[in-house]
Amino acid sequence: MNREEAPGKSPEEMYIQQKVRVLLMLKKMGSNLTPNEEAFLRNYAGVVHSQMSQLPQHPIDQGAEDVVMAFSRSETEDRRQ
Amino acid sequence: HVYTSAILGTVSYWACWFNTPLSLHLCSDMEAQYSLTRAQRVRAAMFPETLVEGETALTAHSNPDQPTNVQRLAEPSQLLKTAIVHLINYQDDAELATRAVPELTKLLADEDQVVVNKAALIVNQLTRKEASRRVLMQSPQMVSAVVRAMQNTGDLETARCAASVLHSLSHQREGLLAIFKSGGIPALVRMLSSPMESVLFYAITTLHNLLLHQEGAKMAVRLADGLQRMVPLLKKTNPKFLAITTDCLQLLSYGNQESKLIILANGGPESLVFIMRNHNYEKLLWTTSRVLKVLSVCPSNKPAIVDAGGMQALGQHLTGSSQRLTQNCLWTLRNLSDAATKQEGLDGLLQILVSQLGSDDVNMLTCATGILSNLTCNNARNKALVTQSGGVEALIHAVLRAGEKEDVAEPAVCALRHLTSRHPDAELAQNAVRLHYGIPAITKLLGQPHYWPVVKATVGLIRNLALCPANQAPLRESGTIPRLVNLLLKAHQETQRHGSGAQQTYQDGVRMEEIVEGCTGALHILARDPINRGEIASMQTIPLFVQLLYSYVENIKRVSAGVLCELALDKQCAEMIDAEGASAPLMELLHSPNEGIATYAAAVLFRISEDKSSDYRKRVSVELTHSLFKHDPAAWEMVNIFIQESHSTLTDSRRTRKGGIYVQMKVNGDHSSQARFSVNNNLNFSLILTQNFRRLEI
Repeated sequence: MNREEAPGKSPEEMYIQQKVRVLLMLKKMGSNLTPNEEAFLRNYAGVVHSQMSQLPQHPIDQGAEDVVMAFSRSETEDRRQ
Repeated sequence: HVYTSAILGTVSYWACWFNTPLSLHLCSDMEAQYSLTRAQRVRAAMFPETLVEGETALTAHSNPDQPTNVQRLAEPSQLLKTAIVHLINYQDDAELATRAVPELTKLLADEDQVVVNKAALIVNQLTRKEASRRVLMQSPQMVSAVVRAMQNTGDLETARCAASVLHSLSHQREGLLAIFKSGGIPALVRMLSSPMESVLFYAITTLHNLLLHQEGAKMAVRLADGLQRMVPLLKKTNPKFLAITTDCLQLLSYGNQESKLIILANGGPESLVFIMRNHNYEKLLWTTSRVLKVLSVCPSNKPAIVDAGGMQALGQHLTGSSQRLTQNCLWTLRNLSDAATKQEGLDGLLQILVSQLGSDDVNMLTCATGILSNLTCNNARNKALVTQSGGVEALIHAVLRAGEKEDVAEPAVCALRHLTSRHPDAELAQNAVRLHYGIPAITKLLGQPHYWPVVKATVGLIRNLALCPANQAPLRESGTIPRLVNLLLKAHQETQRHGSGAQQTYQDGVRMEEIVEGCTGALHILARDPINRGEIASMQTIPLFVQLLYSYVENIKRVSAGVLCELALDKQCAEMIDAEGASAPLMELLHSPNEGIATYAAAVLFRISEDKSSDYRKRVSVELTHSLFKHDPAAWEMVNIFIQESHSTLTDSRRTRKGGIYVQMKVNGDHSSQARFSVNNNLNFSLILTQNFRRLEI
């Protein structure tokens, strides 16, 4: 194996990074966090800061999209006046 | 013959009444009468005062000192006399025309155009009286001669006379039939290119009468390329002429797709919209709106009308005094609205439609709600404008008045659903629904009898309303949660009854999977409130939500992961979720390409693993890391194959600094045997096996 490709993060670091990202995504989607989770984010503010820029910019989970209704399926004749 | 014998019968009756034999001195006069027409003889006998100069009269002997019985009969007699005089005149005209027709028919075909012109003039004169007109239309040879003269002449005046003749004949069914059988339609269509306005008028009016009353005329006009000649006439300026022309187009295009496409190909939509925008003659606007209504159901014409400014032009006529015009414009706008979601310049129209939501006319309500529903679809500007114009309150009132009229309720609820999401004023709209007492009315729409399109729209609206924290308690208090749960159970049972997989169940045109998704989505947002969360969990919904994680429908997976994520905030619920075996499907969902699904799944796993061992958390982490490889399907496929073939268990995986994959695993369950497998972006891989601390590099 090419030793230059050795990974740089420990499992614990990876776990923290992942959890921070997930919690930030939840907040972005409007979900609630538990008090422990809020505390977790405060504890790892540095990771939060680095992850914030990596969050997707587009809105996520806005619910079902608007859909048009097709009314023009048949002609109706009106009475000639 | 009928009226002639009636006249003669009356004459003999009166002769008996007077009991006056004809005197001898009158006999010589009688000889002179034999050369007169029958009508003249009757006239002379009965009403000598109506004779023209040169005609002699038979007189009855009377005593000037004594009033006659006729005089004594006074008014009724006078009326009868007048009627009979008319009949006599009618007979005159008919006899004259009968004698003249054969000769005139020949003259109309003369080589000398002056002769043809004079003949046409005379025939035109004959059409002025009913009796002679009847004689003309009863002669197929005469009508054919007129048609030929019209289409063959190079003289405009002759053409005008001939067209006028046909126009006169077209007021009776007999005349229409005669024109039709004589090939008059192709000739009249050709006249639509005439430079003479009066010829145009006669031609279009005659064609109009044929289209209205003569069977087979529509097909004949279409075959003669009538549409191609009529559409350019829309550029004329005379309102009455345009009214007839547009009515012709409506008659030809109703129910005939080919005709609609011909109108489109000849620039019809632009010309029709121009008329709507620039004229104010009511009848013209009405006939034009009818053509637009017919064209508005054509998928090809629809965008052309919208692009020509049709929405704005039709919107100009929604507040006038003509009910029929307003209604036609509304129906047309409704038909067009799904193609106009990106149109600009509709502010005025939107405001008028909001005001029309206050109408009691069900047709107006149906159209206004439908148009607003579509125009607010994916259009943030229109949503904001309608919200700021009091649209929320007006739509709530429309929902209340709609009752069981689904054609009003469904679009009204859809419009509210659009207004309450995906635009800057969505929160304003969400609050407005509550402030205008809309929540109970909306919740009621979830009740029986279920009309599924309305139910589907309503659950989507409720989901949006729940986004506003101030709405959570009112929604709960109106009984929304149990209704949603019951609907969800019912819909889910239907999907299960019809089997799983791609087979979908429809009711009223709505898939039950959509109801499952909608109800779960609404409950997801409602679960953001802690009291609502408890109520939802208390209804034994967790097992169902876990089951829904296995759905083949991506959106159902998303909303069920979402609601479980909210419920898992509560420790007890988290344990229940874990007890239902949610971990396995959630682990799978970590790999979903949908960021929302992966996030909710991860969050639930984090929450149910809080009290679990570090091994479990590490496994979650490993699985999460795998989800980072979703952009390297080929590389990950290689890893999977290796793991499978080597009977290994994954113990660690991560992305390398250069973007490749590094995984660590136990081989054959043997802790003393480890493999480190690495693959880079070019799918070059290396494998290091370590057994009993001895390293083998491959």
